[in-house]
Amino acid sequence: MSALTSKTRQIRFTWDIVILGFLFLVWVLASLTTSNFLTSLNVSQIFSNTGEIMIMAFPVTFLIISGEIDLSIASNLALSSCMLGWSYRAGLPIPAAIVVAIAVGTLCGAVNGFLVTKVKLASLAVTIATLALYRGIANGLVGSKPISAFPDFWTSFGYDTFGNSFIPKALPLVAILGIIFALVLHRTPFGRRTLAIGQSPEAARFAGVNVTKHKMILFCLTGMASGIASVVYTFRFSLSQPDNGTGMELLVISACLLGGVSIFGGLGTMWGVVAGVLLAGSVESWLTLRNVNAQWRTIVTGVLLLSSVAIPVLIDILKRRRATAAIKKG
Amino acid sequence: MNRLALSFKNRELSLLVILVFTIGLTSLINPRFITGSGTRDLFSSTAVVALLAIGIAPIVIMRHIDLSISSTVGFSAWIVAAQCAAHPNYKVWQAFIIGPAVGLCVGIVNGLLVAGLRLPSLVVTLGTLYIVRGLDYVVSNSVDYNSQDLPKSLMKLGETTYFGLVPFPFVLVIIFMILASLYMKFRKAGRDRYAIGSNPPAAELVGIKVFRRTFLSFVFSGTTAGLAGVLYLMRFAQVDATAFYGQELAVVAAVVIGGISINGGIGTAQGAVIGALLVQTIQGGLSALGVDAFWKQAINGALLIVALFSDRVLARRSERALLAQRIKERA
Repeated sequence: MSALTSKTRQIRFTWDIVILGFLFLVWVLASLTTSNFLTSLNVSQIFSNTGEIMIMAFPVTFLIISGEIDLSIASNLALSSCMLGWSYRAGLPIPAAIVVAIAVGTLCGAVNGFLVTKVKLASLAVTIATLALYRGIANGLVGSKPISAFPDFWTSFGYDTFGNSFIPKALPLVAILGIIFALVLHRTPFGRRTLAIGQSPEAARFAGVNVTKHKMILFCLTGMASGIASVVYTFRFSLSQPDNGTGMELLVISACLLGGVSIFGGLGTMWGVVAGVLLAGSVESWLTLRNVNAQWRTIVTGVLLLSSVAIPVLIDILKRRRATAAIKKG
Repeated sequence: MNRLALSFKNRELSLLVILVFTIGLTSLINPRFITGSGTRDLFSSTAVVALLAIGIAPIVIMRHIDLSISSTVGFSAWIVAAQCAAHPNYKVWQAFIIGPAVGLCVGIVNGLLVAGLRLPSLVVTLGTLYIVRGLDYVVSNSVDYNSQDLPKSLMKLGETTYFGLVPFPFVLVIIFMILASLYMKFRKAGRDRYAIGSNPPAAELVGIKVFRRTFLSFVFSGTTAGLAGVLYLMRFAQVDATAFYGQELAVVAAVVIGGISINGGIGTAQGAVIGALLVQTIQGGLSALGVDAFWKQAINGALLIVALFSDRVLARRSERALLAQRIKERA
């Protein structure tokens, strides 16, 4: 067992380094090939473009580590965003509307959690269904009448920066959430339990972990994060409509996988995920600055997603081959 | 054994009953639904999804998934339209070569990544969903085609009906359904796929060629998606880079509603077709009831949850039947 742990840890270690190296490489190449990549405006753009993805990636990391998945996060964001606009239009003050949005997000997460942990359906299938369901409800509620008139005080929170600095106003929120989630994953029993469940749910259960309850909490947290992300998203674009964040679930999941979280569960670090999100965001920004056709970006996203799962496997195969060759020689 | 066999057979049978019941109910609201033109409409609007459902059925039975099909449909439809527009003297059969060929390439890539590298099919096909749609955007360069650019003969073939009821695209669906169904039921390769889906490690241990079966299933699904692209052209007579965008979930819903277990090992091609017809009928029924089109997506999602739930209940029931039988044998 200890040999196995040290081996998997070694693989993960190298993959994290690879990602950080990639991030560094992209930054160097981008600043060499464009004149305005490392300007404060562009850096703040990268941060605010990745804000919602980052917020949702934190709990999704937990979820993937525990061996589950949630594809409904972006639809949940759209529904929460529509509820924010809808309740604001119905006359609620903004702070109350924010609470409504986060509550709706958490509730949607709880529905996913209930179907997965209590009814015992596969999370992939359930969240494919709720992906359609949540965005469908958003469509039914708001339809073709998006809500766009939000007070400036609140929308500035979404797109503005502190003074003339490059720090977007939403960044502290993202950073605080990130620190909390990182500490929980790496420094608390809750985080260790998540990893244990991912390695082997059976073993975790026999060791006294309440797997059902644990996963339920993870799904609720994921829903809540979608709610929080929806608030940032709505104010950033000053728009609450059912199309908000279409396809974002794939960006979040590919960023997590890119950051070294194993799709098979049980492995992953929070700083790897942060690097993964930033890498995807930086590549996107680089392509934009290079005036690469927006259409190519879809392909780049797909290639990033594929390589994030294929490269670790290929490295593993190469290592094993080298190891067997060494054994045959020795 | 009898009870077990019954609970499996019941799936398609009870689905058929539900389908007939739904059609009856819809016709009560909208009498036009049961007429010849209504039936033709139902068949031709279901053809694309039904063909795709047959295509991914073996994959889902093997506990895999293919989400890239909707991108493949769009890409294949665009390529076929572009080729036909560029070469006005193309024969119809050439469209039926080009479309599946495009799909074949996507299927080979998926198959190599999933079967060869043993990557999770969900992630791989999400990736190729992006890449193929991206290629579609890049290649099409915002050019779209409509009925004037397409060969008249292809459009005519799409409108040809047999026995006054079944349009040509649905005839193709029926042929594919019968072939896939017979293959999965009577050929060893077909039975192997059920075995792989029921217990992948065990299938490997008893010497089933998991690589070959998985690879070829993805190739089959890609190729049918390419063919579905041609059917898409026949039905809509126009195509742009966003054609069939985001429809992969509708196909997964049809498959699951059609009684193919998302956990693998259970399901048939005829179930997939019934599932596709059922989804279409329910949508038709709801719009006849005057439900706003904005709710369509939400209803699809809710339907899928119901299907998953009943799948779970049925699986538990057959599990119990198996257990009871084993206890009886031992006693």
